[in-house]
Amino acid sequence: MRLKIMLVLAVLSGVILAWNLHTMFLRVPDELNQGAIFRIIYFHVPSAITSFTGFFFAMFASVAYLASKNLRFDAIAASINEVSLAFATITLITGSLWGRIAWGIWWTWDARLTSYFVCWLLYVGYLMLRRAIDDPTTRARLCAVLSIFACADIVIVWKSIEWFRTQHPGPVLSIRNGGGMAPGMEAPIWWNLLALLMLSAVLIMMRTRQDAMQREIESLRRYAHAF
Amino acid sequence: MSFLQQALAIAGKDLRSEVRSKETVNASLSFALVILLLFSFAFDPGSEETHEIAGGLLWLVFAFAGTLILNRSFARELVNDCLDALISSPASGAQLFLGKCLANYVLLMIVECVCLPIFVIFYDARWPRQGWLLFVVMLLGTWGITVIGTLFSAMTVNLRLRELMLPTLIYPMLIPALMGAIQLSTVLMAGEPLGADNLIWFKLLVGFDLIFTILAVALVEIVLVG
Amino acid sequence: MDQNYTFMFYGFTAAWLVVIIYVISIALREKKLRAELDRVKRMVDDREHEAKR
Repeated sequence: MRLKIMLVLAVLSGVILAWNLHTMFLRVPDELNQGAIFRIIYFHVPSAITSFTGFFFAMFASVAYLASKNLRFDAIAASINEVSLAFATITLITGSLWGRIAWGIWWTWDARLTSYFVCWLLYVGYLMLRRAIDDPTTRARLCAVLSIFACADIVIVWKSIEWFRTQHPGPVLSIRNGGGMAPGMEAPIWWNLLALLMLSAVLIMMRTRQDAMQREIESLRRYAHAF
Repeated sequence: MSFLQQALAIAGKDLRSEVRSKETVNASLSFALVILLLFSFAFDPGSEETHEIAGGLLWLVFAFAGTLILNRSFARELVNDCLDALISSPASGAQLFLGKCLANYVLLMIVECVCLPIFVIFYDARWPRQGWLLFVVMLLGTWGITVIGTLFSAMTVNLRLRELMLPTLIYPMLIPALMGAIQLSTVLMAGEPLGADNLIWFKLLVGFDLIFTILAVALVEIVLVG
Repeated sequence: MDQNYTFMFYGFTAAWLVVIIYVISIALREKKLRAELDRVKRMVDDREHEAKR
């Protein structure tokens, strides 16, 4: 049943992504100022939204673990965080490439990029912590607390860096020109978002199943040693 | 014993042991001086640009030196199973945490108060006109560093890579507090009065301290015990 | 303009590469875990047989 859901989601996501590629290249005209490169937005923005959604859901999963002590929630939280980190990496890389063409620089320390980079660092720390602890219960416990802290911090970091950078107005840099987009050009973003969310759901389910397998291995080992 | 009495007892224990051995404060202070030296190579101490980033340099020194103190905080309890003894004592996790937090806070404030005049001398900075405001900023910012650092010290105490994990985890978390402190310190050390638009940084510092103190006290029992 | 298209393709390639590398790493991990699971199951069966004897 689970496998069927994964397959359906994967196929649907693939179809939407393929259809969007068609739309992106053939239907949508080049943007006036930026030319072809602006099409990156169709991966950049959905990746960013997917990663943030993931981090928030992971926080809920962490809270669920702390409340129920069921290791499945820990597996879900870890899988979500890992997949979201992958999408965050995509966001940073595509954003950097876009910036190189649109603004002439690979990177700048404006509000959005800085807070997003901090967010990325927080969750790299999360994965490092997971790798550093061997005992599953301790790992689940500590990583759940870290996940909650990281999520709280993202919100604060975001607001504070916005204040910081608007106090020192540099070149006006805004990645999101959602408000200024013609309606025909905006649709592929949302379709791609749907596709990426489904893709991330598939990946999360795969990772969670792997964690379940890992736990089964460990419990079988303990059982074997009981003889 | 009341809640506060037990927390203060634990803080007192830590401070007493530190007064007797002086190991952490000495190490932290030496480290801070080395960093000041290194910064003097990276940035020209007398120039105008350095005065503009004075707040930033100051708080970087405090943050780096603070990590040494915070690391030792729970690590010193590992010997002879003292940590297990503390956890199984009648003091709750929150009391243990607050006690250690207070002790770390006092130690870090001592290091900062020693570093500040040295920084002013080395970097030819102007002594702020509203020195007491700078002290308030130090009080608020240091509490933010201490709260996050103590909780993560408890989290990483049993890991092999303790010294590596603690800085990796806390520095991204501390960015809002450090930013607020840096902004306010830079303005104060330039001799200017704090304007209305700097009030937001005070709010950020206070908000950060409140939110993470509550969160830490709520979750520390889970981190320490399970 | 040409540079524009080149970078766009770099961007798309980078995005897809990250996804593909991640999916491959998951798949490899799955294979490794499955092998390990079979091995441990066999070990448990062997020990059970021995215990029965």
